Amino acid sequence: MIAAIGLAIGVTLGLVLQPDVPLWLQPYLPIAIVAALDALFGAVRATLEGVFNERVFVVSFVANTVVAALIVFLGDQLGVGSQLTTAVVVVLGIRIFSNAAAIRRDLFHA
Amino acid sequence: MAAMSKQPGAPGGPPRPWKRPDASMSLLADLMTSDALDPGYTTAARRGEGGNGRTSSRSGAVLVLVTVVAIGLLLATAVAKVRREEPVAERHRQELVAEIESQTRQTDRLQRELVRQRRETARHRAALLAQSAAGQRTQHELSRLAFVAGETPVEGPGIQVTVDDAPERSEQESDDVISGARVLDRDLQELVNSLWAAGADAIAINGQRLTSVTAIRAAGDAILVDYRPVNPPYVVTAIGDPDTMETRFADSRAGRLFRTLESTFGIGFGVRRDEGLKLPGASALTLHYAREVRQR
Repeated sequence: MIAAIGLAIGVTLGLVLQPDVPLWLQPYLPIAIVAALDALFGAVRATLEGVFNERVFVVSFVANTVVAALIVFLGDQLGVGSQLTTAVVVVLGIRIFSNAAAIRRDLFHA
Repeated sequence: MAAMSKQPGAPGGPPRPWKRPDASMSLLADLMTSDALDPGYTTAARRGEGGNGRTSSRSGAVLVLVTVVAIGLLLATAVAKVRREEPVAERHRQELVAEIESQTRQTDRLQRELVRQRRETARHRAALLAQSAAGQRTQHELSRLAFVAGETPVEGPGIQVTVDDAPERSEQESDDVISGARVLDRDLQELVNSLWAAGADAIAINGQRLTSVTAIRAAGDAILVDYRPVNPPYVVTAIGDPDTMETRFADSRAGRLFRTLESTFGIGFGVRRDEGLKLPGASALTLHYAREVRQR
């Protein structure tokens, strides 16, 4: 429940403060969001299956975001930035979908 | 997906696990079919750490809170950014449209000025040439050549062919007519060629006079005549004998082509006779490569 409240606080803060994302960070915003969604969905599923662990959640979010950003940064230097962004988004998107399906199964037994 | 053991024939040695034939595709296969939770959670649970409802430590809960707030902040920032940039993009587009319109007006103004200056120059030249007999002969020759080359406005009887893009939504719900078909530069070229072959003396497209060096080409979606864009409906005016031109044009390649385009794609096509057509002159011709042959 702390998590849900925390999420609400974060969203409200973001909508109220409307921080400006610096220009050099903007290409990494999409993958950061997808990595965040992936960590979130994974956490919800783990909670529903009774195996949620805070350390794993925090580390997975931070590591996913940092690693994804590093991969895209490396890709930018090599000239394949947009392709690698697509790859990262596709892989994380597949994980999000499979976690969402599992959540649906756990919640509705259907 | 479990590896099956198969006892090899040779004695001694542990049984080798069976290798799947598509072992090299295991990454994609696992990605597509795996339903597994993030392995971190399962190994942590197996090790007996934490689990629901049992917050292992204060710092753990605080970390989760901080992370979740960060995620919320990130999502909200992205949403706010998207909302904020919508009107900006629209405003940029409006500014670009206004810029295009003002530059087009400027170009038209300069064009009119150019025409005015040319007429002025021609007037001065005629006045100068009229002062001597040789000059008058030269002026006569100049006028004749300009007329033939297409530099001077002309009038006379002829026919007017109008072609238009197909309407976006076809009123008849027939499946045979594809909506949104557009006239191509190839079609206009075919049309003009057939008009010349039918005996036209002078041709203009949407008020642009065609000369021997005028090109009809496409740039992206627009058709350019003499490097100036023309918009549909395309009105092609040809001065010549209306009777023979109309008959010959109807039998020509372009006539057949446009009748097919009209029935298959809904391209607008109409031919009209007129006794008093007026065509403007073309802008001054400059020949870059052709040199005059000295008559002996």
